[in-house]
Amino acid sequence: MNRIIRTTLVAATALLVGVSCTDPTVAPKSTINSETVFTEASAYKSLLAKVYAGLALTGQQGCCGAPDLGGGFDEGFSQYWRLYMQMQTLPTDDAMIAWGGDQALSELNTGMWSSSNGFLNAMYYRIFFQVAMANVFLRETTNAKLDSRGVSPALKAEIQGYRAEARFLRALSYYHGVDLFGPLPLVDENTSVAEPPAQATRAEVYDYVVAELIAVRNELPAMGAAEYGRVDQGAVAMLLAKSYLNAGIYTGTTKYTEAMAEVTAIIGSGAYSIDANYRRIFSADNNTSPELIFAIPQDGIRMKNYGGTTFLVHANVGGPMNGGDYGINGGWWGLRMRPETRALFPAIGAGAADRRAEFWVDLNTPTISNMFDYQQGTGSPKFTNKTSGGANGQDLEFTDTDVPVWRLADVYLMYAELNLRAGGGTIAQATTYINALRGRAYGDNSGDVLQADVDLALVLDERARELYMEGHRRQDLVRYGLFTGGAKLWSWKGNDAAGVTTDAFRSLYPLPASELIANPKLTQNTGY
Amino acid sequence: MWRFGALTLVAVLCASEPALAQSTRITGTVRSADGNVPIVAADVEVVGANFRRVAPTRDDGRFTVAVEAGTYLVRVRRIGFAADSALNVAVAAGETKTLNFTLVARAAQIVGVTVVGYGTQDVRDNTGSVRAVTAREFNPGRVVSAEQLIASKVPGVQIIDNNEPGGGISIRIRGGTSINASNEPLYVVDGVPLNIGGGLSSGRNPLNFLNPQDIREITVLKDASATAIYGSRGANGVLLITTKSGSSREPSFSYTSSFSSSTVVRKPDLMSADEFRAAVTAQVPANVGLLGTANTDWVDRVLRSSGGAEHNVAVSGVREDMRYRLSLGTLDQNGILLGTRTKRISTAASYSDLLLNDRLEFRANFKGTRNDDLYTPGGVLGQAANMDPTQAVSTNGVYFQWAAPLGTNNPIADLNQLQDEGSTFRSVGNVEAKWFFSEWVDGLSATMRSGFDYATSSRTSFSPSTAQADIELARGGRIWRNLPRQVNTVFEMFGNFNRKLDRYDMSVDLTGGYTFEQQKGDYASFSAERLSTDLLGVNYVPTTSTSVLVNELSVDESKLISFFGRANVTWKGKYLFSGSLRRDGSSKFAPENQWGVFPAVGAAWRMVDEDFMADMNWLSDLKVRFSWGVNGNQAFGNGLYVPTYTPSGGQAQYPFGNTFVTTIRPSAVDPNIKWEQSTSTNFGVDFGFLNDRLTGTLDYYDKDTKDLINTVPVPAGTAPGNVVVTNIGSMNNKGLELGVSWVVLEGRNRGWRYEAGFAVSNNQNKITAISANETDKIQVGGISGGVGSRIQILQPGSPINSFFVYETRKVNGKTVFGNLPDTALYVDQNGDNIINQDDLRPYKDPAPRWIIGHTSTASYRNWDFSATARMYLGNYTYNNMASSYGYYGGLTGSTPSNRHRSVLETGFVNPQFYSDYYVEDASFLRLDNISAAYTFRGLRGVQSLRVFGTVQNVFTSTGYSGVDPLAGVNGIDNNLFPASRTMTFGMNIAF
Repeated sequence: MNRIIRTTLVAATALLVGVSCTDPTVAPKSTINSETVFTEASAYKSLLAKVYAGLALTGQQGCCGAPDLGGGFDEGFSQYWRLYMQMQTLPTDDAMIAWGGDQALSELNTGMWSSSNGFLNAMYYRIFFQVAMANVFLRETTNAKLDSRGVSPALKAEIQGYRAEARFLRALSYYHGVDLFGPLPLVDENTSVAEPPAQATRAEVYDYVVAELIAVRNELPAMGAAEYGRVDQGAVAMLLAKSYLNAGIYTGTTKYTEAMAEVTAIIGSGAYSIDANYRRIFSADNNTSPELIFAIPQDGIRMKNYGGTTFLVHANVGGPMNGGDYGINGGWWGLRMRPETRALFPAIGAGAADRRAEFWVDLNTPTISNMFDYQQGTGSPKFTNKTSGGANGQDLEFTDTDVPVWRLADVYLMYAELNLRAGGGTIAQATTYINALRGRAYGDNSGDVLQADVDLALVLDERARELYMEGHRRQDLVRYGLFTGGAKLWSWKGNDAAGVTTDAFRSLYPLPASELIANPKLTQNTGY
Repeated sequence: MWRFGALTLVAVLCASEPALAQSTRITGTVRSADGNVPIVAADVEVVGANFRRVAPTRDDGRFTVAVEAGTYLVRVRRIGFAADSALNVAVAAGETKTLNFTLVARAAQIVGVTVVGYGTQDVRDNTGSVRAVTAREFNPGRVVSAEQLIASKVPGVQIIDNNEPGGGISIRIRGGTSINASNEPLYVVDGVPLNIGGGLSSGRNPLNFLNPQDIREITVLKDASATAIYGSRGANGVLLITTKSGSSREPSFSYTSSFSSSTVVRKPDLMSADEFRAAVTAQVPANVGLLGTANTDWVDRVLRSSGGAEHNVAVSGVREDMRYRLSLGTLDQNGILLGTRTKRISTAASYSDLLLNDRLEFRANFKGTRNDDLYTPGGVLGQAANMDPTQAVSTNGVYFQWAAPLGTNNPIADLNQLQDEGSTFRSVGNVEAKWFFSEWVDGLSATMRSGFDYATSSRTSFSPSTAQADIELARGGRIWRNLPRQVNTVFEMFGNFNRKLDRYDMSVDLTGGYTFEQQKGDYASFSAERLSTDLLGVNYVPTTSTSVLVNELSVDESKLISFFGRANVTWKGKYLFSGSLRRDGSSKFAPENQWGVFPAVGAAWRMVDEDFMADMNWLSDLKVRFSWGVNGNQAFGNGLYVPTYTPSGGQAQYPFGNTFVTTIRPSAVDPNIKWEQSTSTNFGVDFGFLNDRLTGTLDYYDKDTKDLINTVPVPAGTAPGNVVVTNIGSMNNKGLELGVSWVVLEGRNRGWRYEAGFAVSNNQNKITAISANETDKIQVGGISGGVGSRIQILQPGSPINSFFVYETRKVNGKTVFGNLPDTALYVDQNGDNIINQDDLRPYKDPAPRWIIGHTSTASYRNWDFSATARMYLGNYTYNNMASSYGYYGGLTGSTPSNRHRSVLETGFVNPQFYSDYYVEDASFLRLDNISAAYTFRGLRGVQSLRVFGTVQNVFTSTGYSGVDPLAGVNGIDNNLFPASRTMTFGMNIAF
């Protein structure tokens, strides 16, 4: 009898165990489940902030940790603007980086990249990270979803503006993509993600960018009206102007008149003015500059990352330069000016007539025979982590200086170029605009150009002088037909110290080798 | 709670048992064939119709087992000895039957009974590849963490050294099976699976809590037939660690003490001050003005000869059926790198008893250890390598520092100013009750076990506002503390049915059960910058209103629930079959994928017991084995299947107007993610010659791992993120293992006894796929120098982590060196006249093709000696010290840094990280330890007194030019903790 009771009890124990503990499911603890995240009304703003933050930051921890890009990319170099600026600058006559041994960088310095180059891979994924973030935002903020979550009418109205911003940011990244990589898959919030997306032509990507911008324009605040860190119609007009200006490259059909319309609208809005203090545009307090149309915010405490101006300030300091003079803890000995851009200035250093070169520093030799020797070339520390008043930024490692993406000076020069390309306007006005910039540089009219001398070549040179290291040069040279081929040579073009002719196909970057594998529907760009 | 309830329930159930008659018994003595010495702690197993009991022998070799009248099978087993043949004996009521046994000492290779998953097994009956290493075979000398005890002892087991005392852990059993999940085996201590995950990085080696002196045996389960009972965690093999328990009838008190001294063996090959001066003068004359006048060997200045001491006391004994052991150990070991130290206080208690008339066996084990560690602050070793050797450490009490902030900081200043310390408390314990249902169903027993693994640690670093880095960053002092805490609980119930079915000449051993395991962890940390004072160091957080504070907390939890069963059948004593099945449910996967089934089967044939071999007297053992099975691997992050949003920290916000907004980032996940799965096949032969004087095992295995957890690119735009963690890719390991143990001299008449053991293994790893596309490849192997540079590759057809480098050009058989363009230095593999990443190719890999371990043990009268040697063949190492310091370019700039002497040969001006010149053959032969001991016997009042001396890392012979050919598991030698030679002297006294 005992035995039976015992057996029963043992069996009951086993059953108890069996019933009570056979479900291994555990909900994740320290991340927010996507089903509950939008029960907090602030989540919409937080998600929109992430779409913006993709331009400024590298991960969720600040500087280092929880990176946005997986797959082994160094988090520091994976910052959007650091990648974009390098791809638009390093293979040109503008500047080059001295960090030796870094395989992928010397490929950019010389323009002889392969499709597995880590930098262009990271740029590609950064672009699509933005696209994906914007798409997630748009999918989560449809009217149906907002209604089902019981979002208040006030918030719902506000979210309509957020949606326009997300679409603008998606268009911005597609514009970067169409410029650098050409034909790309077009993925919007309605695209099925069940299978790899098909590749659009370069023209289709361009058309999409333009259509999106026109669609969202009126949903955004008027020019200059957006609060700090966000976009308004000024950014829309500028992005449209840039797209139209380069439309000939993207589609074969030029849109100079349309570009001129946007340019004159920006200038005519009166929302922006040329900053009397050129240096302030690149200083820790450049958020106060009236010249900026769109900037990527940076903050030494709240926005730690190793790209953006943290990269631009540090990498531009080395050799005889002292980090303390630029509000940082030391230079990285990286970026310095190529001799071809230096030659556009009559003199450099203290007392130089063109003050845009006033703060430049002579290194051992202006020519670069060894691309890895930082002391060859010209130190051109355009960006600084000091305010225009001379105070340090909040942190000596991470800078406060915002990244000037677009500013009015660029618009002035676009006006001149568009006029010369028969886009409208007057040559007199173009000359006035150019001399407005030169007048600021020289402090008086001693550097003014004559209307008769204003031609496309002059505008291109003036763009080099005004906008160096701001991430425009490759696009400008491509538009002028000078980036590849032999018509214009510069140090290390084609991996030759004196520069050699390069193949035309290098005007476009290759699609990343890994992406061609992940998405078999893609076709590699010609030549690669 | 219900767990403890269940235990209580069993205890209550069992309380009403009637007593057995006591006067009838079986008694006797167990002695060794060699010397007729009493054998202590042999297991005497008495099996009757409704009765099974195992009793230990006392220290006089005697045993007594109370029985009822009847017929019994009695056999004796002792690890390290061949089992004596079983005797059948009939006992009448009231009779005392005396049986004497003689055991033959066995070569180390094959032991009698070994611990396997959820039970023990006679090695004779084993169908799998299992190898137990007992305490007497352990590597001697100063061993801080337990895994080093079995280095070179077991074929197929690679213990990866970390020269830091108590530093990181790494073991590879039959090669790695995974890319992103863990490649470490499962560690089980007295039945409690250990958590060795990265969360406790604040401590050092997660096995440091185990005092090697408390370990009795480490059993390595290698093939699937042995590991499949551990299901989803057995893919990388299993290490079962069994701690000591009481063994002698009289209380025994033992005290062991040892002192050690370590010296640096080899330093990195950097320029001397004179060479540096000459190089600067020749290469960068502009910088001659920066040179100092001193001759400082910075690496020498941060290294030292270091000492250590260890003391252990243990009390143990057997009383009636109760065995107990209590121990206390202390260790204090300084590292050869200044500032490194590890201290340990460990306690262990073990108790077992037979209760309720031998029907209930109760066991409990508790271990509690506190480790206090001092770490070298910051990057002192790297700074020492980097620092200009012509500069003096300090002048008039002021440390030399470069004026330019990004110059290397003075390592001696950092050593004196910075602090980095940690402490870990870890406790592992279990309580086990085993109920023998013998009188109900013969051979049936049930076990319930409850265990825990609790660990909490802290790591604190402090840098005062006067430290160079703080001055440069204007950081104003910084304190940082990380406080991880983990608790792992396990509950297991299993039944065992072990019976001889004489009618069928068969014996069966069935095991089946359930386990429940839960891991919880929380990870808190904080840091503060801009402190109000430097004076309080790590002891206080003195903040001001402008201090920058960061507080973080994260929590994780996981569960593993399993049902398992195993059957071992022996037919005619020579045909052996086994099968096991485990069904695991893991919280790491979505409900649809969380259950997995892991089967294994094995068969063996004891050919030596066949009649046709009966007259081959020279052959004492011959068994052929075959096994096949499936294992899983789930050692990676929790919740990878759940789409989540990650909020940003306070340093990663985005401004909307004047407000910084916390962002949320959606994740890209594969909701269908599941375990990695390894299928392995093993063929083995166990052999013994000359009455087992020469024994050995030979195994061939082939292990395919599929569904590798891999981070792969997704088609851009289809997921929020560029990569997703998913199951893709596969790899294969195949290899050959030979273990031989040979008693060369038998030590008769107190003469020389000499035994030699060899553990030879070969492993060939190959990645067979890493993505859906067969030609894809992934670059891995980040190095120092060149941001984002990676010099290894995962590519189908190549071994994991193959180096991915340029081929240096050779002209007339000589490698081209010098300050030349890439096109002159390297072979243009694709012929496009450009040297770029398309010209990199897989070349060699870090895993050794062959690992050969040798152990010699000898004894003569009261002397005993041992030596262990190890040889690796075919392992390659990337000399990152040479590549990141071996170019003249580093002499330019305002803070020229010291150079690696390889530049004298290469003449490189620019770094050549991708040159295969730096991939060196790191094959080596090392005498790991030699040891001698003398035992005094017959001292009055003393049971034994043993004095011993050991030298570890006696010599290394290698062609590798860096500090240590064992450059960690991934084969990248980047400023390794230098190897040291350690001499240890000590004594053990037992009363």
